[in-house]
Parts: sequence; C-alpha cells; structure tokens
Amino acid sequence: MTKLNKQRKIFIVLSLIIPMTLLIAFVVVPAIDLFRMSFTNWDGYSPDKEFVFFENYIAMFQNKDLWMSLKNNAVYFVAHLLMIVVELAIAVILTGKLRAAKFYKTMVFMPYIINGVAISYAFSYFFSPINGAFDAILKSVGLESFIRSWLSDPEVVNYVLAFVSLWKYSGYHIILFIAALQSVPQDILEAAKVDGANSLQLFRYIQVPAIMLMVDYVLFDNIRGALQVFDIPFVMTAGGPGYASSTFTLYTIKTAFTFSNFGLASTMAVAIMFMIVIIYVVQNYIIHGLILKDRRKS
Amino acid sequence: MAKRVISQSAKQLICICMVAIVLAPIILTLFASLKTKTDMVNTSPLLLPSFAKITFDNYKEVLTDKQLLTGFKNTGIILAVSLVFNVLFGTITAYIIERFEFKGKKIIVSLFFLGMLIPTFVTEIARFQIIQKLHLYNTLGAPIIIYVASDLMQLYIYRQFISGISVALDEAALLDGCSYFKLFAKIIFPLLAPATATVCIIKAISIINDMYIPYLYMPKNKLRTLTTFLMDYANAQLGSWQTLAAGIIIIMIPTVILYLIFQKHILAGVAAGAVKE
Repeated sequence: MTKLNKQRKIFIVLSLIIPMTLLIAFVVVPAIDLFRMSFTNWDGYSPDKEFVFFENYIAMFQNKDLWMSLKNNAVYFVAHLLMIVVELAIAVILTGKLRAAKFYKTMVFMPYIINGVAISYAFSYFFSPINGAFDAILKSVGLESFIRSWLSDPEVVNYVLAFVSLWKYSGYHIILFIAALQSVPQDILEAAKVDGANSLQLFRYIQVPAIMLMVDYVLFDNIRGALQVFDIPFVMTAGGPGYASSTFTLYTIKTAFTFSNFGLASTMAVAIMFMIVIIYVVQNYIIHGLILKDRRKS
Repeated sequence: MAKRVISQSAKQLICICMVAIVLAPIILTLFASLKTKTDMVNTSPLLLPSFAKITFDNYKEVLTDKQLLTGFKNTGIILAVSLVFNVLFGTITAYIIERFEFKGKKIIVSLFFLGMLIPTFVTEIARFQIIQKLHLYNTLGAPIIIYVASDLMQLYIYRQFISGISVALDEAALLDGCSYFKLFAKIIFPLLAPATATVCIIKAISIINDMYIPYLYMPKNKLRTLTTFLMDYANAQLGSWQTLAAGIIIIMIPTVILYLIFQKHILAGVAAGAVKE
C-alpha cells in the first residue's frame, strides 16, 4: 500500500507541476504585479521607478476621461439588459414547435463565432458615411433626415457600437436560454396547457421561474462583459472621436501601451479586478443565498 | 385552428427578421466584395451589380497577398501547438482535481479558479514584462504560452465529463497492477475523447478569432495571424471598401465552416461552460 501511496504522490506532483508553473508565472504573478505597479510611477521601460503611495488611485478618481469611458460601458450594460427580454422571447419561440427551428438556431448563434475583427470592419462599412448601407436603407424608407455620421458623431457613436455588441453577443444568451428551457420537464407544460394556461402565462409562471438561474447568469455575464468591452471600439473607432466611444478597458490599455503610464494603468486594472470580484461575490450570494434557498424550501 | 396558424406565422415572421438582421452585414459585405471600384459608387450598397459586371478581382487581390499565406501558416502553428498542450494539461489537471484528495488541493483549485476570474485584457499590462523577460516577445511562443497558461475553460468541460466516469474503473485497473500514468494514458484519456473534441473546436474558434494577443505581442510582419493580417490589410486599404470587403469575407470563412460542421459540439460545450455556476 505504501508503495502505491508513494506512486500516487509522484503521479500528482509530476502531473500538476507544469500546469501549475504556467498558471503561476502567467496569471498569478501578473495579477500580483498589477497591485505592486499600481503604487509606482513606472513608465514601462526605465529601470527605476518611484513608490508614489496612493497618487495613482487619486489620479484615477479624478480622471474625467476615465469616468466618461465608464459611462460608455454603462450604455453597453443597459442595452444588453433590455435585450434579455427579447432574447428570452426568441428562446421560447425556438424551443416550441416551429418549422425550421434548427436553421434559426444555427443562424442565431453565428454572430458569436464570427471573427470579431472581420465583423467590426463589416459594420464600419455598413455604417460608413460614403456609400454606406445603413444610410441607403434610411433613404429607401424616406428617413434621410436621420442620417448622421454614425461613427464620428460623439453623440451617437457609442450607441452604434453598443448595437454591434448586441448583434454579436445576443445569440450566445439565446442559446443559453434555450439550453435552460429544454431542461423544463415537458409534462409540467402539458399539464398547464390542459388546465387552460395560454403561452404568456406559461412563460411568466412556469418557464421563467424554472430558468431563473440562467437568467441570473446572463445578467451577471452582462455586467462582466460590459465592464470589459474592448474589441469592438478598439477596431471600429479606437475609442474616438476623442473619448466618445472609449471604454474602461480600452482606456486602461491606452494608458499603458500608448501613454506609457504603467503605474496608472495598473491602478485601473486593479479597479476592474476589484469590480469583477465584487460582482462575483454578489452573484454567488444571490444564487446560493436567495434563489437556491427558495428552491429548497418549496 | 386559425389562431394557431396566426401565431405560427407571427413566430416565423419574428425569426425571419432575426435572420435578416444576422445576415445583413455579412451579405452586404459580400455584395461589396463582388463590385468594381466604379460600381461601388454607381450601384446601391443594398444591391449586387448586374450579373455581367460581377468581378472576382478583389478576391484575387487578397488571395495573392503573400501576407495572407503567412497569416494562415502562423495561425495554423499557434493553433496546433496550443491545442495539444491545452488538451494534455487540461485532461490531467481536471483528472487530478476531480479524483484525488491531497494536501494543498484547495489552494490549487482556488488558484485555477482565480485564473478564470481575472479579467483578460488588462492583465496584459503586467504579463507584457514577463513575456519580454523570457524573450518571447515577437515570437510565436508568446501567444502559444499565453493561450496554454491562461485560457482555462477546458477544465470545466473535462471535470464535468470525468465526474461521469465510474471510479470503479480506476480501482479495478489499479488492483490489476496498472500504474497511475498507464491508467490515465490508456483508460481515462481515451474515454475523454468526446470532451476533447468539444474543447478543441471551441478553442480553435477562439484562437483563430483572437486579435489582441497577436496584435500586442507580435508586431513583426512575418508573424501576422489571420486576424492581424486583416487589421494590417484594412489600414492599407483606406477607403477602398471593395478589396477590404473581400478580405473580411475570406477571414470569416474558416470559423464559419468549423461552426457549420461542428455546430452540435459547439452549442453543447458553450452551454456546459455556463451552467457550471
């Protein structure tokens, strides 16, 4: 037995040593390093740096462009939040009896797997002020007066990008809702139908409560996703004009790699990390403390 | 009965609108890619040019760009190496976490969990120094090692799958004098094949589509991936939408094909990744 025990130990150590080393070197150490750098004024290349206490943290809270960027993140969040209702409705339609449901499911998820850079350029073309398709659509239905320069007007640009984000990510949520809806026992639905429930009642009183966990997951996924929006503005507008379509992550990355202020950028990165952890803790509390507790009682 | 027909048609209408919204930017880009420079101005962006005027010159131009081939090659290498290590480390880590009790396991599990929680893009600010110190900057090693070390979604899929394999199997093999390594390599690993298929497809799509890591770590021309090739190409084509459109379509094709072939695996894997909570 002791021989087997020793063999077991060797097996565990040998198996975990490389994955653990990689994890520590490329994930844990950088995370700790962000904390350390957030108290310095390092520029990314000089050999020396000064310890500046909380200067970066104070600078972060006073940075107007950063707050504007965070407000832009909020637009993505609200857009995706409102979209949940539509996503749920489409998920219900696609789980019910429907001709060509399979084809629709294929289509609905496709934006999620399409190359993000390619689709960002495709949308740049779609919204382009010269021969752009969106302007052509508006003209064809007599709404010329609404035409604006969609990607360079500071007032609309962020909403346009949020729309692209909806286009790309809604399908993912719909697929998650479909997976959850399919786990609702069919006989409960049948019984309710026999009792005369209409589809709205089925939706409101049976399907939605049954998939509350998934709704909750999507909700928090929205917060995390909205907080970390990066690709779409990075490719389509680089955050411009000015900071009109910048986001918290984009601003952080720019602070480091464009303005060489690694100290301040690390501080912002720490702030994002904190927000993500707090969101996770709250979500965990809600799922385990409230939703699952309710379920145990009933 | 009439009510049913109406509700069915309403649902069909909603779904058709949805498909139209999904396909619109892709189809309109496709239209543009088939036009000549003059037709870009003379025809509506919502329509194809007349049949006789359709041109494939834009595609010819993109496809003969040497950098595209470089992009395909580099993406292929990064993909193959990352997947091999991801599968190898993913299966064995998940197996050990799922089946063994040992000192320090809690710490190890929470470290992996932390790794999944840490926000992706901003971590590069600190990771950048490490990659530079290891002399991996401007090499294919940079994206490979980052994908292998930090992209950890496979652990969920493998753990879920392993928890469904009977422990009796392990015990019987050990009683027969099988070593742990042999047990893992000869019995567990082959049983995980369906999960491995899911992991490979989902990861392949996310690696092919990834923009920021190759962009940040491999600015060298020779190290273009498919995605950064397109970014370069776009910057060079300023205003010439018809050739860029052809580039967009070409770069979209590989993942769309993967998706259409392996749709079932992808949808199942994506849902499994979320339900973990």
